[in-house]
Amino acid sequence: MKRLLSSLVAILVALTFLASTSLAKEIKVGVVLPMTGLVAAFGQSAWKGIKLAHFDEPKTKDGCTIKLILLDNKGMKVETANAVSKLITDNHVKAIIGAITSSDTMAGAPIAEKNHIPMISSSATNPLVTKGKKYISRACFIDPFQGSVAAKYVWNNLHAKTAAVMIERDQDYSVGLAHAFIKAFKKLGGKIIAVEFFQSTDQDYSAQISDIKAKNPDVIYMPSYYQEIALFARQARQYGLKQPIVAGDGAEAEALIKIGGKAVEGLTFTTHFDPHAAATPLTVKFVKAFKKKYGIQPDAMAALGADAYFIVAQAINKAGGCKAKPDKINYYIRHTKNFKGVTGVITIDPETGNAIKSAVIRKVKNGKFVYVTTVNP
Amino acid sequence: MKIDRNNILTALSILVFFLFVWWGNHHLTAYAVRVWEDTLIFLMLAAGYNLINGVTGQFSLEPNGFVAIGAYVTAILILTPAQKESMFIIEPMVPWLAHLHMSFLPALIIGGIVTAIVGFLLGFPVFRVRGDYLAIVTLGFGLTIRVVSNNTITITNGSLGLKGLPTYTNIWWCAVWAVVAMIVIMRIVDSAFGRAMKAIRDDEDAAIAMGINTLWIKQIAFVTAAFFEGVGGGLLASLITIISPTMFTFFLTFELLIIIVVGGLGSMTGTAIATLLVVWGSELLRVVEQPMNIFGLQIPGIPGMRMVIFSILLIVIMIFAREGIMGQREFSWDWLFNKIKGKRA
Repeated sequence: MKRLLSSLVAILVALTFLASTSLAKEIKVGVVLPMTGLVAAFGQSAWKGIKLAHFDEPKTKDGCTIKLILLDNKGMKVETANAVSKLITDNHVKAIIGAITSSDTMAGAPIAEKNHIPMISSSATNPLVTKGKKYISRACFIDPFQGSVAAKYVWNNLHAKTAAVMIERDQDYSVGLAHAFIKAFKKLGGKIIAVEFFQSTDQDYSAQISDIKAKNPDVIYMPSYYQEIALFARQARQYGLKQPIVAGDGAEAEALIKIGGKAVEGLTFTTHFDPHAAATPLTVKFVKAFKKKYGIQPDAMAALGADAYFIVAQAINKAGGCKAKPDKINYYIRHTKNFKGVTGVITIDPETGNAIKSAVIRKVKNGKFVYVTTVNP
Repeated sequence: MKIDRNNILTALSILVFFLFVWWGNHHLTAYAVRVWEDTLIFLMLAAGYNLINGVTGQFSLEPNGFVAIGAYVTAILILTPAQKESMFIIEPMVPWLAHLHMSFLPALIIGGIVTAIVGFLLGFPVFRVRGDYLAIVTLGFGLTIRVVSNNTITITNGSLGLKGLPTYTNIWWCAVWAVVAMIVIMRIVDSAFGRAMKAIRDDEDAAIAMGINTLWIKQIAFVTAAFFEGVGGGLLASLITIISPTMFTFFLTFELLIIIVVGGLGSMTGTAIATLLVVWGSELLRVVEQPMNIFGLQIPGIPGMRMVIFSILLIVIMIFAREGIMGQREFSWDWLFNKIKGKRA
């Protein structure tokens, strides 16, 4: 019995090994995403986009399979660093896609940088992520750009001269975006007359609202997440604040409309992508395929994930397909030029690794997100 | 210290451990080395935590606060003034901190000492209560530290955290500190202080009746734990190169609590075994999240599967070893030799 068992185990082990080293030629690409934990929704969405993009382009031009290896980082820094290290030294990946949040990406980045493996994040928007790094790039625009887009929109389209800013103190995303907005808005000639702070999961905004009401700004900029924005909007409208509210991409979730109801009607926000504004042929194709496969509209995370994959796949092809070296792949990722991706036309700055691309402005209208305009860099 | 068989064997095994570290540093993959670094840092944190929670029996939930303090102090000290200036974009750093800069070892030690001082001051109010109440006040301390680090923007850079820390931490730093922590803590446990701590754990009222100054003894355990948790935080900060308030949530405390409970409350041997199990377990179990092909049967990878298996493993351990893997026992050379000779310890 014992012998039978041990031989069975041996066969199993052998088979798994056989399975993992399949005969077909392949090139490995690592993916680090938060599939569980607090930001799992973002990671899962991005993974859907990446999988769909992979389904669309599973092989290099010379016939190698691009094998994706997904590791979960639980949305934690220590796990991200471990996962990046494992992908590079255990799995010998040639490139890495990930992670979702800026701080997780920054925890993994030094390892990729040290081992000269290109790493591209789909949605890490903090400017420091790629600063001083040669192997870290991103498929999204950075916070200062999003902040300045919001400032320009507020200044030019809403003709606002004064603004109040609501900052979620414990979210680096919110602080970064607010900072960029304030800087850009002042540069245009606008005046920031109120800066209010609050904490995540705050329920009561009456103190901030009464202060804003007393100062009466033309517009309220609130770069935060959908839940806080929706709650704030409800209370603000109740207290008679009529100013337009402008937000960042954190507002983009169906829950915003569910919680906010009538109060978020007219709320405008800057984001990466709009499924209705067909930016490129790939957008149309992707949105259609996504709806067919998952039954829902793709969100920005999914679209950005797909773009990150397409950029890597394209770079692998240019770097020699099957035999592509990480250094070469990195070179071509960083020299991505006018790539017609899902979220629009993407150019990556070879110096900084940041994507130069247009932002989309969306709005809530009749309980739905609608496309307003596209702002080019 | 006497030079007898046991001490020589202990010294030899530490030497063997360092030889392993030296070998591993050259022959293991960078990934394995990294997981070892995590393991050793967690060993240090857990050993300190076990001293207060297991040996002294004070159910406190403070480690995330202490680790955060150590990490922040060390990070602030090892960042260069230029880095600090470019990082503090909301409000500039307070000047006397902005120009402070030193090398890693003093930064770590200062990180540990500052944490120890905070632990000492914290000890006076929190040890006025026992049991569940102590758990609640120390839990509150952890939350307070998080709120403070979010709001003292001129010191901690708020929610943006401190980024791009120099990577000084390597396997040697972790190994040496872990060994130092283990030796110091084991020596305390074996000393008169340690016996007083155990007396408090077993029956605090009886210990008071026997003339033990319980507050003082608890303070020794607390301050020692705080020091090593602070240093561990500093090592962790330099290993990850980025710290922010979200890194030090209750989950960190919870992970350490799992380690010391699974290992056995009060047993440093158990802590070491459980640290290995928890840190390596969660990494090795990544296999089950990968798509597999067994006998032509395609099994897609399910993210989160390793946590499920890991939880089952923990439940099984707690069913079959109610007091953790080691209970309150410790590994000792005498026990080993008796075992070899066939005698019962």
